[in-house]
Amino acid sequence: MQAEIAATPVKAVKVAFTAGFSRRYTDSIREFDVQAKNIRGVIRAMNDLFPGLGETLEEETSIAIDGVIHEVDYTQPVKPGSEVFFIPRIEGG
Amino acid sequence: MLTNTKDIQQVMKVVGTSPVRPDGVPKVTGQAQYGADYSLPGMLWAKVLRSPHAHARILSVDTSKALALSGVKSIILGSDFPEHPFDYVGPERVAQNYWHMTRNIMAREKALFEGHAIAAVAATTAAIAAEAVSLIDVKYEVLPHCIDVEDAMLPDAPLLFEDMITRGVEPAPSKPSNISKRLEFSTGDIAAGFASADEVVEMSFKTAAVHQGYIEPHSCLARYGADGQCELWSASQGHFVVRAYTAKLVGMEIGNLLVHPAEIGGGFGGKTVVYVEPMAVLLSRKTGLPVKIMMGREDVFKSTGPTSGSSMTVKIGVKKDGTIVAAEGLFKFQAGAFPGSPVMNATMCAFAPYIIPNVKSVGFDVVSNRPKSAAYRAPGSPISAFAVESVLDILAKKIGMDPLKLRLKNAVKAGSPTAWGPKHSHDGYAETIQVLLDHPGYQKPLGKNQGRGVASGFWFNGGGESTASVHINEDGTVVIATGSMDVGGSRASMALMAAETLGVPYESVRSTVADTASIGYNHVTGGSRVTYATGIAVVEACNKVIEDLRLRASLMWDTDIKNVVWSDGYAKPVDPSVGNFEPLSLKAIAGKRAVTGGPIGYEASTNAGGQAPGFSTQFVDVEVDPETGHVKILQFVAAQDVGRAIHRDYCAGQIVGGVVQGIGWALNEEYIYDSKGRLSNAGFLDYRIPVASDLPMIEAVLVEVPNPSHPFGVKGVGEANIVPPMAAIANAIENAIGRRMTELPMSPPRVLAAIDAG
Repeated sequence: MQAEIAATPVKAVKVAFTAGFSRRYTDSIREFDVQAKNIRGVIRAMNDLFPGLGETLEEETSIAIDGVIHEVDYTQPVKPGSEVFFIPRIEGG
Repeated sequence: MLTNTKDIQQVMKVVGTSPVRPDGVPKVTGQAQYGADYSLPGMLWAKVLRSPHAHARILSVDTSKALALSGVKSIILGSDFPEHPFDYVGPERVAQNYWHMTRNIMAREKALFEGHAIAAVAATTAAIAAEAVSLIDVKYEVLPHCIDVEDAMLPDAPLLFEDMITRGVEPAPSKPSNISKRLEFSTGDIAAGFASADEVVEMSFKTAAVHQGYIEPHSCLARYGADGQCELWSASQGHFVVRAYTAKLVGMEIGNLLVHPAEIGGGFGGKTVVYVEPMAVLLSRKTGLPVKIMMGREDVFKSTGPTSGSSMTVKIGVKKDGTIVAAEGLFKFQAGAFPGSPVMNATMCAFAPYIIPNVKSVGFDVVSNRPKSAAYRAPGSPISAFAVESVLDILAKKIGMDPLKLRLKNAVKAGSPTAWGPKHSHDGYAETIQVLLDHPGYQKPLGKNQGRGVASGFWFNGGGESTASVHINEDGTVVIATGSMDVGGSRASMALMAAETLGVPYESVRSTVADTASIGYNHVTGGSRVTYATGIAVVEACNKVIEDLRLRASLMWDTDIKNVVWSDGYAKPVDPSVGNFEPLSLKAIAGKRAVTGGPIGYEASTNAGGQAPGFSTQFVDVEVDPETGHVKILQFVAAQDVGRAIHRDYCAGQIVGGVVQGIGWALNEEYIYDSKGRLSNAGFLDYRIPVASDLPMIEAVLVEVPNPSHPFGVKGVGEANIVPPMAAIANAIENAIGRRMTELPMSPPRVLAAIDAG
């Protein structure tokens, strides 16, 4: 599914969700292409597609940017062609 | 970026050493103040009335006789706390539902487990409070109960909540049940994967609920002022989280609650939640006097969270050459009386160490009439690993492959897939296997009734929110403050990182834990996050200090800051052209503090990402007494990728500690309930944790594959080490007596029964 978020023809950021998360929130679609320079842009793009999803992403998930896990932080940069995988946030002991 | 981090090398001066811990002398001399050590003038003592029933409707509570007792100042019930809407808030694994949480603090409509708090009394002495508790008259309607997870999942099981509809199932079930949630992670084609396997093993396992076993019971002291300002002294793994939960549960603004971090006598995950704090604050608000609550050991066992017991089935298929082609797991976890077991972690961690193209992992979160589960060291991962690592051992035998080599053949590395989606981004697992393959003890001959077992474990490790401040005193000494409770030696590790960054001796750095009004937010000390995340904040604050020191040196030399470098604890001219200046020490610059701009101090905050996971691989030798079933640990070697050891002895201590707790989990620890759902072994005499005489010297092997996201390469150390021991010991027992143990604990009666079963 292509989300036309920005007109600039730069390589998109690939956004991915787990199967369970996509069933609940994104009509079972697991992958999206969005134009974004940082996590704020990714969340805004996904919230435009699924209103209300942004808050869920902020509250319930962590992100793996090309495999490296980060907390959801608006300022975290993402490069064109990167994969941003939203995963359940883990709490340890 | 997927990075092989082995290439990163740094030369350290103090990082990686093992200096004396700053909290050592106060602790061994008895001066350290734990939660129970705080007192105030005019203080009241509170005692808690707890349910004697596993499941009962509360028909009435009559406090009149108790209130009439001289010295009794106040009594609170569940209804004295504000009601909260039914709503799950926050990350899925630990989603907080305050409707549940307030009922876990104190029962309302029903008592859901033996030990569930019903009322709390504040009185002038502890003895009066205890007598008053005995005078409270509660009328119960005793209800049928369920303890075991499989029993709780039966269609006709007694329901804890008559309106609980399983989440994560579509379409939603039409009838309520005790199953709070179903979740699933999968990738690939499971059926095709198993069809391509040469050997498939499927087996079911059970594990017992086990307590974290911290030595210090929960205690706190609250003082609620007439101005609405409240102070709370509490031993926890995160005083900012204690503040947030307590304020919410009693209905006050966070800014009106100041929480002081007491020293903590162990937590291991179990002190990331609140039990007594909201009661003490509410009683203090009602009486206008300070109120102290101390749990006893029986209270701890009966009312605080152990980790879940479980029922699991795991199926794995391999090729003859050892390649794992498919894996499937079903994990049913006890949540206790309220939803929220660590089953999600278990499903994610179960197969995480291995490259497996086809995986399906399903979990169920199930309530039953036991205390609400709480986090315990790598929550969930040790439980699922017991099943997965046991099945792998059987498969290794079937294909005639060394069990370590089977693991090595399938070990994940940077770029390997995971069942839950993103790729692994770090190495470190294979290195823990190789170091054991090379260990001389791994080839040591074994005697009669002896066996050797291996197992591995994975834990995510954490990052997240932390704050640190660094101040320079006028004599050049350094004060660090963070808001991260020191559970495992973080004051020392923060001081080491600051000393390394500033280029000063470790002994010149004083490292403290500040209260909630004196430093910015810090998330809990848990998830193996503090040395990583709070360490980043400390280093960032030190770097700000260094910039300031360079500026001040440039003022003293009448030159531009770009002409000053900071090196080995001194400001130095960048080159001789700047001038013939003697290097300025921290002390020399601090001595000019006032005229160069005033106090030298900075705070840094972070929401740290880039944390790397932890892997641990272990082998154990055991000897089984065929007449008693007793299992003796002969040798235990535990390797773990720590990224970079900041305090070497503390890292080793974490590994040894995790292994010891794992040995207890494997061999002895369990909750024993009678037919009425009452806990029969609520004390350390009957709930058997390991003691020194049970154990050999445990060898910790520090594998260092640095994490490039951290200034010094840190990965979390506190949790991955507890994941492998249960399976490693089960595998060793199998090799000793030829019997596969599938239920924890592998206590002498159970091992003997397995031997006798032939």
